Amino acid sequence: MPNKQTPKSQWGISYGELVWREFVKNRLSVIAGMFIIFLFIVAIFAPFIANDKPYVVEIEGQRYFPLFRHLGAIDYGVLLAGVVAVVQLILIRRNKKRVDPSERGEVLLKQIMISAGVIVVGLVLLYLFVPRRLDATNYHAMVESGRAENAVFAPIPYGYARTNLSVREQPPSRRHLLGTDDVGSDVLARLIHGSRISLSVGFVAVGISVVIGVVIGAVLGYFGGRVDFVGMRFIEIMMAIPQFFLIITVVAFFPRSLLNIMIIIGITSWTMDARFIRAEFFKLREQDFVQAAHAQGIGLRSILFRHMLPNGVAPVLVNATFGIAGAIFIEAALSFLGFGVAPPTPSWGQMLSLGVTTTGRFLWWLSVFPGLAIFFTVLAYNLVGEGLRDAIDPKLRKAA
Amino acid sequence: MSFNDKLVTIQGLSVEFYTEEGIARVVQDVSFNIERGQCYALVGESGCGKSVTALSIMRLIPDPPGRVTAGTVYFNGRDIYKLSEKQMRRIRGKEVSMIFQEPMTSLNPVYTVGDQVVEAIMLHQKKSYDQAWVDAAEMLRKVGIADPEQRAGEYPHQMSGGMRQRVMIAMAMSCRPDLLIADEPTTALDVTTQAQILDLLDSVKDQTNTSILLITHDLGVVAERADKVAVMYASRIVEKADSDDLFAEPLHPYTRGLLDSLPKLSQRPKRLVTIPGMVPEPLSFPSGCKFHPRCPLGSDDER
Repeated sequence: MPNKQTPKSQWGISYGELVWREFVKNRLSVIAGMFIIFLFIVAIFAPFIANDKPYVVEIEGQRYFPLFRHLGAIDYGVLLAGVVAVVQLILIRRNKKRVDPSERGEVLLKQIMISAGVIVVGLVLLYLFVPRRLDATNYHAMVESGRAENAVFAPIPYGYARTNLSVREQPPSRRHLLGTDDVGSDVLARLIHGSRISLSVGFVAVGISVVIGVVIGAVLGYFGGRVDFVGMRFIEIMMAIPQFFLIITVVAFFPRSLLNIMIIIGITSWTMDARFIRAEFFKLREQDFVQAAHAQGIGLRSILFRHMLPNGVAPVLVNATFGIAGAIFIEAALSFLGFGVAPPTPSWGQMLSLGVTTTGRFLWWLSVFPGLAIFFTVLAYNLVGEGLRDAIDPKLRKAA
Repeated sequence: MSFNDKLVTIQGLSVEFYTEEGIARVVQDVSFNIERGQCYALVGESGCGKSVTALSIMRLIPDPPGRVTAGTVYFNGRDIYKLSEKQMRRIRGKEVSMIFQEPMTSLNPVYTVGDQVVEAIMLHQKKSYDQAWVDAAEMLRKVGIADPEQRAGEYPHQMSGGMRQRVMIAMAMSCRPDLLIADEPTTALDVTTQAQILDLLDSVKDQTNTSILLITHDLGVVAERADKVAVMYASRIVEKADSDDLFAEPLHPYTRGLLDSLPKLSQRPKRLVTIPGMVPEPLSFPSGCKFHPRCPLGSDDER
């Protein structure tokens, strides 16, 4: 059995830990990473940060919690996923201290399975049991008229969909920190809720493209020969099609939903991943440890994805961070052109396009703030990607 | 000798590689038997087909470009080229396993060595993870790794070459196979470690009655450890003999050349004897006896 008394310092250092140590040395990347984590927190807690409904309000002596009642299954689902993710991160840290490295892989797998299970079951239950409520009450007006008392509002007391034509197209002021748009919605509130779209587009689209790319690349790289020849020609055809125009064409035929956009970005951007994995697998399949795995009677799928993939996944991980930045950018561009999600769902690219009104006036606050949000998010992902790329440098790899 | 004593029977094995330059006949008409508990040595220069012969016993010839074109390989009484891939996977690692020349690259760098031994045990013995860990640590202890519980949690890059080869042996022996193929197991190691690893193989063989197919180009290794020897040259076996007989009375001129080129302690140092010329390329083997261009006894009717 693993010796529980083994001093920590002598435990093995995994390749992942080596990369992590190297990554942490790059301060700019770490700051960028922290910015992304901050964005995630904002996205998860968006309805609590910016909402036109108060947390607590007293109407005619009775206490209500309109904000919580109004949250939908998605909001609670995101919250649940966020909590599970945090618990998982804490567990991973704890594993490093408490669990013998030889068992870490198994333990981690078990934990991730449980976490995923909790999220899936939770989402199903939430969809079944959280009713959709439409609450059009104007609590601000009620408070002002004195019908409601002791209201506690969110820090930014505006919802992303709340329109107020009396304050439309106002520049930044104390009431509306980043101004209002053409229907009087608060720009900051929409910016905060828009982060959900941008981040989820990035992750889901890249997730789809990585899965497709890895599977195709692995098969091409491992089998080579004729399979590879046909596959590579297919990849080249895919690459020859200008991605953005293909997406615009496809989007024009399908309903403007977020999921469609994610899927379309995903299935048009896997070619790089496939090429990276193919190149790595060409190299890896000649390696002795792959031969050794064959000689042990290990199955092909296990050899491809358990033995070869972890050794060749590094370039894809780096590419994925750039890919997330790219997907956010594509989504913004689509929304800017009017092919993105339909209003009132906020998206940064769509907000950007509102800066120039139909009468030709330029409302700078409508363009600058979403523009900056896109800029910094894309920049942060690129910095993290570069930090990862440096950390995975071959010279370090030799040591592993 | 009953049929049951024969663990491996290879008859008329031929392997061809289809390359862009042409067809390379890498192994031609190779036949030999390995008995239980025997150490069988396959000797020859680089590129003579030793490793391909070994791989064909495990049915691991990369196809394409390679293909077994003739011959049969019986393992434990079964013609392995008639088995399904699934049945074959059950044999690999369980009944026949293999260790490789380069211990630095034959372990997966992303898993701890313990995990890699555990994987082999779990796959073939259907044991739980915890049980497999106990077995793995025990196996590592048997191959002479001190403090195995702790070292099992280390990654391959934290170990020396000799250590890694010990881990490989632990992995290969973890399911008590009937045959262990050792493909130049000591070539990449320094001389003292070489001796240790060979001793280890010997003791493992004696403990478990495992046969060993030892592939090497080092006749010194062969003389000490092997029961039987087959000398391969340019895709064919040129001589088969008991190890003692071979060293006492080599019959084929190539075997004689190999033995002559070893430095001898009993003689005054002089220039080492060499066999002139190079091993022919498999794409352009000479006609007739493939050794004739280099043969000191060569006569015209061998061509």
